[in-house]
Amino acid sequence: MTTIKKLQYEINHNFDEKNARHFVNGFVSVLHCHHYSTLYAQLADDAELLDGKALLVSSTQDVFYSVLKKYFQDNGISCLKQRIIVTEQYYSACGLGKLTVVSAGADSGDVILTRSHVDEGWIKKWGKREKPVNFLTQGFIAAAFSSFFDLPSGSFEVVENQSIVAGAEKSKFTVIRK
Amino acid sequence: MAINRQKIIEDMSKIEVVGNEDGLVPAFNVFVTQLPGALWNTFAERLTRKVGPDLLEAAEWLLVNAAHECGYHTGYGIITSDEWKAVVEPMIENVPEDILHGAFAVFTAWGWAKAEIIELIPGEKMVVRAYDYYESDVVEYGKSEKPSAYMIRGVSAAFMDLAYGGTYDPDGKIGLRTFQCVQTKGIECGNDYGEFVITKV
Repeated sequence: MTTIKKLQYEINHNFDEKNARHFVNGFVSVLHCHHYSTLYAQLADDAELLDGKALLVSSTQDVFYSVLKKYFQDNGISCLKQRIIVTEQYYSACGLGKLTVVSAGADSGDVILTRSHVDEGWIKKWGKREKPVNFLTQGFIAAAFSSFFDLPSGSFEVVENQSIVAGAEKSKFTVIRK
Repeated sequence: MAINRQKIIEDMSKIEVVGNEDGLVPAFNVFVTQLPGALWNTFAERLTRKVGPDLLEAAEWLLVNAAHECGYHTGYGIITSDEWKAVVEPMIENVPEDILHGAFAVFTAWGWAKAEIIELIPGEKMVVRAYDYYESDVVEYGKSEKPSAYMIRGVSAAFMDLAYGGTYDPDGKIGLRTFQCVQTKGIECGNDYGEFVITKV
């Protein structure tokens, strides 16, 4: 039986005093609050003519794909299970909530959230709503699955089937290979 | 002015932000995230490029507004926080002007922009200069005709709301959007720095 070491996502954080920039594992990082993230989600939701939701999902996906891919490369992480553990920990470290990959394959997968920055932030700001708002996590999950299987960014579609923002105990996402 | 900007930047830049056991960062009366700046830039840039000239102003207003509300609520959380009380409050002599200078030192310390106030007419006008900011990263070669620092615009206006817009309103119905900000220069536009003029609405 193979024992997989319970990896800890490692945060290498430094502040560049000259330019006043924070770097987390080589990427410029910034703090923002739930007002910011939920207003971005609302803007994406309202921009129907431009398919704003897809725009936010793809933007998020492309950025997280770069982050996860670099982390796996820099740390020599090639095992699927290790990649999943690190990705779940990274999601939490960012303050996005608590994400669990329930199943993952090269063609499909299931992901749940038991805590969610975007959903809980939305409820705190405006209250519950029926339709999903967590486009940011949709992009995150799509990026994660592409990076798990060494596929190009944009290889997966993610659908949110159940949402904390709508009153559910957990959010559920289905992942489908395009 | 008693504000020691360098000390504030040194002290406040050391604050580590990481999710708790629930993966959340409840701080300053809001939920906070620590995310790649490129995430916000990418969406803002793709949206404003895709929207077309007729709707550009409306899209930009919404991006600025996201930062305006964020700056108003988080800004209030910051200036009432224990960290602020420990580091900045002892330096404050003139209220609210020193609070504004302190707020921009924190703004710098947290990596939003290396920004400072270069002109302040109490209750009327403020000019902010940003010598480096992540929103300028949208241009890596050449210069853009479109200024892109929506976050700085919103947060700068919000700080003036907090300083001169009356008592803080948690619902944001009064006190918020009493000031507006125009970006007059931008690193992304080929200038040496970004410049932001905030005036009363």
